[in-house]
Amino acid sequence: MAKKLMKGSEAIGEAAVQAGCHLFFGYPITPQNEIPEYLSSRLPQVGGTFVQAESEVASINMLYGAAGAGERVMTSSSSPGISLMAEGISYCAGAKLPVVIVNIMRAGPGLGGILPAQADYFQATKGLAHGDFRVLVLAPWSIQEAADLVQDAFDLADYYRNPVMVVGDGLIGQMMEPVEFYEDRKPIKELPPKTWASTGWKRDRPKAIINSLFLDPAELEQHNFDLKKKYDLMERDEVRFATYGSVDSADVVIIAYGTVARVCLSAIEALEEDGIKVAMVRPITLWPYPYEAVREVAAKAKDILVVELSTGQMIEDVRLALQRPRPIHFHCRLGGMLVSPEEVIAKVKAIKAGESEAMHYA
Amino acid sequence: MFSRQVTVLVGHFGSGKTEIALNGALDLAADGVAVTLADLDVVKPYFRSRSARYILAEAGVRLIAPEGENVYADLPIIVPQVRDILRRPRGKVILDVGGDGSGARVLGSLTDVLPTTNIEILVVLNFSRPSTPDVAGAIAMVHEIEAVARVRVTGLVSNTHLMEETTPEIISEGARLAVETGTALDLPVVAAAIHEDMAASVNSDLGCPTFILKRIVKPPFEVQPQRKTVGPLFVLN
Repeated sequence: MAKKLMKGSEAIGEAAVQAGCHLFFGYPITPQNEIPEYLSSRLPQVGGTFVQAESEVASINMLYGAAGAGERVMTSSSSPGISLMAEGISYCAGAKLPVVIVNIMRAGPGLGGILPAQADYFQATKGLAHGDFRVLVLAPWSIQEAADLVQDAFDLADYYRNPVMVVGDGLIGQMMEPVEFYEDRKPIKELPPKTWASTGWKRDRPKAIINSLFLDPAELEQHNFDLKKKYDLMERDEVRFATYGSVDSADVVIIAYGTVARVCLSAIEALEEDGIKVAMVRPITLWPYPYEAVREVAAKAKDILVVELSTGQMIEDVRLALQRPRPIHFHCRLGGMLVSPEEVIAKVKAIKAGESEAMHYA
Repeated sequence: MFSRQVTVLVGHFGSGKTEIALNGALDLAADGVAVTLADLDVVKPYFRSRSARYILAEAGVRLIAPEGENVYADLPIIVPQVRDILRRPRGKVILDVGGDGSGARVLGSLTDVLPTTNIEILVVLNFSRPSTPDVAGAIAMVHEIEAVARVRVTGLVSNTHLMEETTPEIISEGARLAVETGTALDLPVVAAAIHEDMAASVNSDLGCPTFILKRIVKPPFEVQPQRKTVGPLFVLN
């Protein structure tokens, strides 16, 4: 298929269709409205169904029903809308339902603003909702990667029978870049038939009951252990990251994800020209987090810099990765303001000159 | 292009109307022409003409757009000065209208003040965009915009590109499709927009005049020592 110039939102919508998702339920919120808008006209072309639900709560419960019937299904929203879906996402995790949720993050808290942010890191990776569950979190840095990861998200959701979330800051929703879809794309996992799905009982298999309610505590305990086994497998097999620059001997290693990492990469190239060696580790899965990669590159670097569009939510995972107290430098922009390459260059030079105040953790 | 007193840029979502409007306004201002740019985009929340307000002000272009914190609002705000400048145009006037029929609907509310002479209403076409993959899609887009905006389109602008991955062939093929669309609709292709970096390598015989663009609207990924930070949406250089 020839390359198209697509907004991130359009590419995410098309990626879902290419992955065989014929159902989308959602409720509008800026800056991701072009995802439902695109799918509202695209899905009927492939015999699919688009429903603008009455709320985010309704949307996620429509996903629960559709996934329970064995269909590939997606919703998308932006930060406050994801908060409203939280209960339903927990139900999907509890009922072992494969659903794909896209969060195009805007600045918060509260209504916040409509401009780009990465302030939902904790929400996505640590505390999405009640109960003992995890969602796999994928974080693209370009429109092409957003299209690729959305398609992977459907395979991963089906394989693990678990919600998968794709998070991008507002730029991933709104900017335009060339995108290519590959007609011969194969699933990234071997996917068995969904014999567990509620597709109508013909006495040819055990009844398929989709449920997250367990009255018997022993049964619920076992269910929790089973889920944990699944999350352990994800942690073992699904970690994704990319490294850049002088990973074997950096003056400074930058940890950044999403479009912020692209800004940092431009800074790294400029700094290398000035003879300053900088490396970067870019987590592509925010959960499971690439702890080992961060630890290995950081071990060979003099200083560590985290760059984020939040007040430092990812620092917690970087500290876990380091496994020992080390000063961490930090740079952020908030509220919808974006980090510029010049700011990153200045920060790295300040670190080199001993003029950047690091955070010290005992 | 920009040959009449009032230029209205319409077209599909993401076709490049804002980029062309900004380039046109800055070129005219550089030639000493008094120019007013009206941002009527009620469709996209980022990357609108109003985000270029500082560089426009510096160049002496008058910008009509929501002000204060409403610069960032995702609300369909049409400021009243738009009606005034259309009733009594002074210098050159450029209207940057939002994408697709939904964006062009705003124009429909201004038909009572739109001049009937000395005006060009141009549909910007990028055949690399999924909504207009071919001539039939472009024709449908022109018809949709004419219906909701209640205006007659007077010409087409060819703006087919793939950003950094644009090749001379992509530009030539886009111009060819634009001319074909123009022939089918009996409309002239008033210009083919070409990025300045590509200008030398594009076949000079595109079947229409060319309009050389600088890329103004872009995310802040590249190092730009002369960056004029114009808020969080995009940067100009």
